[in-house]
Amino acid sequence: MARTTNWVVLGLTLTFLIGPFIIIIFAGASAGESLAFPPAGLSLKWYAKVFTVESFRQSFMLSMFLAVFGTLAALLIGVPAAYALNRYKLPGDETIRTIVAAPIIVPGIIVGLALLRYLVVPLDFTVTMALFFAHTALVLPYAVRVVSSSLHNLRADMEEAAVLLGCSRLQAFTKVVLPNIRGGVLAAFILGFVTSFNQVPVSLFLSGPGVRTLPIDMLAYMEITYDPSVAALSALLAFMSLAIVFAAERLLGFSRYV
Amino acid sequence: MKKLMLMLVSAAALTAHSAMAKDTLTISVYSFAQDAYKKALYDPFEEICDCELVIETGNSVERMAKIEANAADPVIDMAVISSHDALSLAQKGLIAPLDISKLSNHAKLYPAAQDPIGNNMAVGYTFYASSIVYRDDLVKIKSWGDLLGKDLAGQVSLPNITGTQGPLTLMMLDKALNGGSGDFSSVIAKIGEDADDIVTFYSRSSELAQLMNQEEVIAAPLGRFAWSRFKNSPLSFAWAEPEEGQAGGMNVMIMTKGNGNEELAYKLMDYWLSTEVQTRIAEALIDSPANKDVVVSDEVADNLTYGADLINSLNILSPAEIIANRDAWVEQWNAEVIK
Amino acid sequence: MFLNNREGLALALPAAIFSLLLFLVPVAILLSEAFRSDTGWTLSGYTEFFSKPLNQVVFFRTLKLGVLVAGTAAVIGYAAAFCIVNLGPTARGRIFGLVVLPLMISPVARTYAWIVILGRTGIVNDTIVGLGLSDTPIRLLFTETAVFIGLLQLFLPLMIISLVSAMENIPRDVIPAARVLGANWIQVFIRVILPLTKEGLVIGGTLVFTGALTAYITPAILGGSKVLMLETLLYQRVNVSNDFVSASVIAMILIVMSFSANLLLKRIATARS
Repeated sequence: MARTTNWVVLGLTLTFLIGPFIIIIFAGASAGESLAFPPAGLSLKWYAKVFTVESFRQSFMLSMFLAVFGTLAALLIGVPAAYALNRYKLPGDETIRTIVAAPIIVPGIIVGLALLRYLVVPLDFTVTMALFFAHTALVLPYAVRVVSSSLHNLRADMEEAAVLLGCSRLQAFTKVVLPNIRGGVLAAFILGFVTSFNQVPVSLFLSGPGVRTLPIDMLAYMEITYDPSVAALSALLAFMSLAIVFAAERLLGFSRYV
Repeated sequence: MKKLMLMLVSAAALTAHSAMAKDTLTISVYSFAQDAYKKALYDPFEEICDCELVIETGNSVERMAKIEANAADPVIDMAVISSHDALSLAQKGLIAPLDISKLSNHAKLYPAAQDPIGNNMAVGYTFYASSIVYRDDLVKIKSWGDLLGKDLAGQVSLPNITGTQGPLTLMMLDKALNGGSGDFSSVIAKIGEDADDIVTFYSRSSELAQLMNQEEVIAAPLGRFAWSRFKNSPLSFAWAEPEEGQAGGMNVMIMTKGNGNEELAYKLMDYWLSTEVQTRIAEALIDSPANKDVVVSDEVADNLTYGADLINSLNILSPAEIIANRDAWVEQWNAEVIK
Repeated sequence: MFLNNREGLALALPAAIFSLLLFLVPVAILLSEAFRSDTGWTLSGYTEFFSKPLNQVVFFRTLKLGVLVAGTAAVIGYAAAFCIVNLGPTARGRIFGLVVLPLMISPVARTYAWIVILGRTGIVNDTIVGLGLSDTPIRLLFTETAVFIGLLQLFLPLMIISLVSAMENIPRDVIPAARVLGANWIQVFIRVILPLTKEGLVIGGTLVFTGALTAYITPAILGGSKVLMLETLLYQRVNVSNDFVSASVIAMILIVMSFSANLLLKRIATARS
């Protein structure tokens, strides 16, 4: 009895959480002209159309660029910061921690607007640059947190031993620490990638003629055309995210780090 | 840190490369029928000018706000917006007067389109009628007042006050409900009372097309330029001819001040106003011509706002009047309608 | 623990400086905008903002929906988390994976689905009319209900995840022991489960509440111009009228709301124990 109740509750919850996604997959596979479920016959024409829309191609490239390089940049400054916060007794380390974590607390729409008003307009930054900075800042807290937790699990005396055995501090880091937190860094990268790629509010104001991230472009497309191609694109993107996450899970047990 | 700088530089380089390739002209246009515009206007123009068009889309008022926000360093070179938004930009000194001698097709325009807001600050490129689009298999529309009637309760959408169609709808409702008093406050109050019966207040005609094709809404005021989205729908849509008549308006082209790309912008404007392009756009059933040399078939004409007689019959709300009252309308609208 | 401060700071500062200059400073300037006037400091931006009926309505609606979504998520979250914790290890991992899965999917896609589901010709209305519960389809899109459902679906996983990790820390025998000693389920929940999971509830509650406050897509797509929330109002104020003072006021409200929610929930959690 208790078992049945258990599965009923879980079944209902999961239907609510995942059902809409399944509907999107099928609505995108419609043979008809408008978005509907159940679809008017099945066809892959809208999935094919996605690849012919030029603005999707452009905005996909921009979103990819931001997600990959924004996350790499965040790791580049985030990993040393996480290392320093874990291994050194720094003056003001709480302040540093708060500053680095701040982007997670401030609503994205405000970040986008602030960067537009005070970087793009007066300092002549391009919108793409502002997007790059915004996405880097947004991913930074995740990078620091995830890498911190994997550094936390790594005993500091290993590096000390390496230093005693004649390594420089940098060698100790690259030869001993880095290989051991590889999984954490990769997990941070994937988390950062997915966060950046799906980000909407930050990019809302940071768009200009011809410069739009993919989610913003999808919103704009939906306003203009009401065909199932946005559903098809949504489904494709979801599969892309899932493939990345599953590959990571297979390779290194991604969920241990998140 | 060095690596970071390298990465930032490469990011900058990636951004810069698109700007270096060809001359680009950045234009700001309405978001409907972009596929058709691409065929009729953008692609052929890119051939001729050997340049690249960068296109921003959106409704008139949002794009106007962006031009204002970027006034110090214009992003947009040339824009098409509503005549009252153009007047508003002109009053703020954000657009440059047009040098008519650079527009070889200027003399072919209907007189009303040649200098619609004065001082050659804009030229009209299209006229449109505004009426009510409705599902003729479900309802009958005889008057603008029917929009607020019992038959449409829960299935009607009105344009948002900030958009171009908003004030026109107020004007026609004022005619229907108050015999054309010219004071819209009682109309706004009435819409406020009936707000629960109105599905949503749309801000782009493309958004309305969606709602109606989705059967969320069965009647709403609309500009004729968006009619092609309805005409080809499997659902049965009709264009109302209400007893108060149709409203009308004009969309215009403007040049942002000091954009540094004037030559190319004039080229596009002149091309857009040419008999050739105006005919192509008319035949695609998007924008009705402002060029009086354009001749189209009766069937095409039926779907457009075509010819001097029809244009003269429209109820017009002057741009100056809209600007003078808009703040008060919006204030009342926000307080009484979208609460 | 190394003691070379200079080295440590050299490693930590790039991130801190980056965040400070490119993130905190612009945001701080934006927040200060409503307090500045030509003559000095002022609060008129705030008094004017709150004097407009529309702004008041939007403020309270946002607060209400945030609380409702977080509250409902807590109720469903506890039920779901309890069931998940009771599963065997393999099933638990799989189900947990399915709960996390929606978080990896673009919110645009997740919200878009609700248009299809809640529309006049959508599945919900087909079912309602089909079952004879109503003669005509019910209007669901562009209502607070639609926004509520959309937000709940978007943020429920965060609550479940927080509660599952909290419940995993409850010692195995505590609940059966309480049952044997004669406590009913309500008592077990209030006396045992709640105190032991309150930290998870605080984390989940804060995440869901702030998520709901600062979501843009859901109110934009499912609410439209009739169900404005603070986030969509901010977008509109900026995009339609270049009204940066209102934007600054709304930004401050959103940040203050998020912080106070966090503090309040923490306070409640500590008061109980």
